[in-house]
Amino acid sequence: MLFNSFHFVFFFVIVTTVYFLLPYNKRWLLLLASSCYFYMAFVPIYILILGFTIVVDYFAGILIEKSTGKRRRLYLIISLVANIGILCIFKYYNFINTNFSFLLHGFGLSNPIPYLSILLPIGLSFHTFQAMSYTIEVYRGKLPAERHFGIYALYVMFYPQLVAGPIERPQNLLHQFREKHSFDGDRVFEGIKIMIWGLFKKLVVADRLGIYVDNAYSHLHQQDGMTFIMATIFFSFQIYCDFSGYSDMAIGAAKVMGFNLMTNFKRPLFAKSTGEFWKRWHISLSTWFKDYLYFPLGGNRGSVARTYINLMIVFVISGLWHGANWTYIIWGAINGAYLVFAIITKKYREKMGALIGLNKVPRLNLFIQIVVTFILISLSRVFFRARSVEDAVTVFEKMLTFKGSIFNDGTAIIIYCFLAMFMLLIVEFKREFYMGSFSFSHNKNFWVRTSYYSILVLLIILVGVFDGGQFIYFQF
Amino acid sequence: MFGTLKEIVQKKGYLYLFIKLAAFLLLAFFFDRAIGGIFQKFYHSQTSGWEYRTKYSIEDTKADILIFGASRAQQQYNPVYFEERMQQTCYNVGRDGEPVLYYYAVLKAILSRHLPKIIILDIENGVFKESESSYDRISILLPFYKSHPEMRSIIDFRSPYEKLKLQSNIYPYNSMLLKIVKGNIKSGNKEKVDMNGYLPLLRSLNEPVRTVDLSKPYNLDSNKLNCYKAFVNDCKTANIKLYIVNSPYYFNSIGKDISMEIAKDIAYKNSIDFIDFSKDDFFLKSPQLFDDTVHVNMAGAKIFSNKMIDSIQSKQ
Repeated sequence: MLFNSFHFVFFFVIVTTVYFLLPYNKRWLLLLASSCYFYMAFVPIYILILGFTIVVDYFAGILIEKSTGKRRRLYLIISLVANIGILCIFKYYNFINTNFSFLLHGFGLSNPIPYLSILLPIGLSFHTFQAMSYTIEVYRGKLPAERHFGIYALYVMFYPQLVAGPIERPQNLLHQFREKHSFDGDRVFEGIKIMIWGLFKKLVVADRLGIYVDNAYSHLHQQDGMTFIMATIFFSFQIYCDFSGYSDMAIGAAKVMGFNLMTNFKRPLFAKSTGEFWKRWHISLSTWFKDYLYFPLGGNRGSVARTYINLMIVFVISGLWHGANWTYIIWGAINGAYLVFAIITKKYREKMGALIGLNKVPRLNLFIQIVVTFILISLSRVFFRARSVEDAVTVFEKMLTFKGSIFNDGTAIIIYCFLAMFMLLIVEFKREFYMGSFSFSHNKNFWVRTSYYSILVLLIILVGVFDGGQFIYFQF
Repeated sequence: MFGTLKEIVQKKGYLYLFIKLAAFLLLAFFFDRAIGGIFQKFYHSQTSGWEYRTKYSIEDTKADILIFGASRAQQQYNPVYFEERMQQTCYNVGRDGEPVLYYYAVLKAILSRHLPKIIILDIENGVFKESESSYDRISILLPFYKSHPEMRSIIDFRSPYEKLKLQSNIYPYNSMLLKIVKGNIKSGNKEKVDMNGYLPLLRSLNEPVRTVDLSKPYNLDSNKLNCYKAFVNDCKTANIKLYIVNSPYYFNSIGKDISMEIAKDIAYKNSIDFIDFSKDDFFLKSPQLFDDTVHVNMAGAKIFSNKMIDSIQSKQ
């Protein structure tokens, strides 16, 4: 069930209405049942995988709490192995097998291990990571184990963020299922407004740009360099609006019912460095890796070299988290390398900035930093979008020639793309740099605010892409 | 008044939300009707372009001969030759990329106000192939949903929620803004009804003929098949002379396309003339007459249109 479908609209209205009609202590049951239904609307049988990890982690949490020493560690390892094992089987098995075959082929041997013909369960990486954060936090003693099985199951399955995050932490979410969320008209309306903005990002911007990007990448060899330069820029906007649009809808839907989910994006298009970018992009995943991988590896507490290695490990694994393909691993490695390079060259860049006088023109300096960051991030995303490393290399080869004309499958498509990006940038720019100034969306006058959102809805109806595909991040 | 509303918030959250949502919906409704009305006006005042041609086909053409189909109809049948040699008016209602669902919806709309004498239906390999995008493509019919009840059953195939979406007056014009603007700007078009629907292609192929295997299996779409059957049946009922055509390709085919075989079978069972140019030797030896392997160019359209007229006249 997609957030941008009528199926979801009916589902959401019914669940929310019943939610507020039910007594507080029965609401978890409704949310759990509706979350099961939501998940089963994709591929019903895969609910069993979720069920398996929920059962394992629920008991692991209790056993970890009750145990000490090696046994405590053993239960954590069992939980992690179960979760990572599920990921390995469903997401990485065929990838590992393919690479193993390739390795054996190098020695003139054939691979006897069969491939699995399985579909990747939707949102697998998201809910597995959320489940793992629970057992890790219990192990660290920062959280008591949840005794209520239904509440724990709901923590993993809460439908707004089940399939594409934000990847919540138990400290933030678990207690909210026990709180009494009384009806608040303002909060409900605020949630709906967040959902509308998310829908705008998805249908008007992401899916519109996706038409051009998909066309370019599906006819790789017929397109010229200029087309890929355009497609690379478009893809950066597309993936941002696709993913943050989903997050907005998830946060908005949860807010309507009184739940506060964590912020997942903070206008990453205006990041001044790649380091800052990762503090603004997919924050729930970045902080997950920071807390559960980077810090345990030693973070930046060891030698400089060790810090660099830790960063690279985190980013390569982050790449692998996104997908079982070398393209994602390379994408992760490039972003890790960006950070390492940024740390190494920080002093020199500052000196150079002072030398050419950029520090004296802060606005120009800011503009250059934002543009350079955008270019670097966009270039790395060629690997993210391409189907194979060969395809990505082809795209880079073509882009480097700067030749040819821009693919134009109707001027209207290009104009809509630029119009969509322009509308997004206006809103994001205003929120980034002029937060306190005049605002349509948060105007004190009720009619101005309401008119703004009414027009936003009509814009979605008028220029949104209603036949677009599902969310890019669902595949992860 | 708002102070009172605030008091309502503190006491009765549901009522407050209801008032807010009602205000929101009221404004949305107002803007929807106002903007939708403007779109409707300008949609119908177009004088050129794709949307104009669709509107003209559905609401205006009174031609004796009508040519239906997708791009292979639109770009291969030049009505000028039909008019000259057959001494009857002719209009090409074909539209690039459209499925049989579209042809049938347009036929129903035309038959509700006009009875043509001859209809040529150009079909291509894979005409009944299951494809999600076929339903996306018939979105161009949405502006006619309210005014043409005869088309609704086909437009409703798009999704179970189509009726609900079409409560909006803006939705039918989704993604048409620029096309409508363009269609209104080119008001100085002096060409006779947009070349009577024909759109010439100008490139020439220069490559050896390939071989394509048509026997690969695929899923059939029952809606498409039913529309095709209904198309044939409606023409028969209205006593319209129908010719179903598989026009030339620039490739040698091996195997049989399942859709084409079914289409042929239905034509034969209904005593409809099925004219097959798909293996025509003349075209297979003339790459210069093709724009690509499935569309003849302007020179090819001249020859093909005349060959079609010969075929029709020989059967009359």
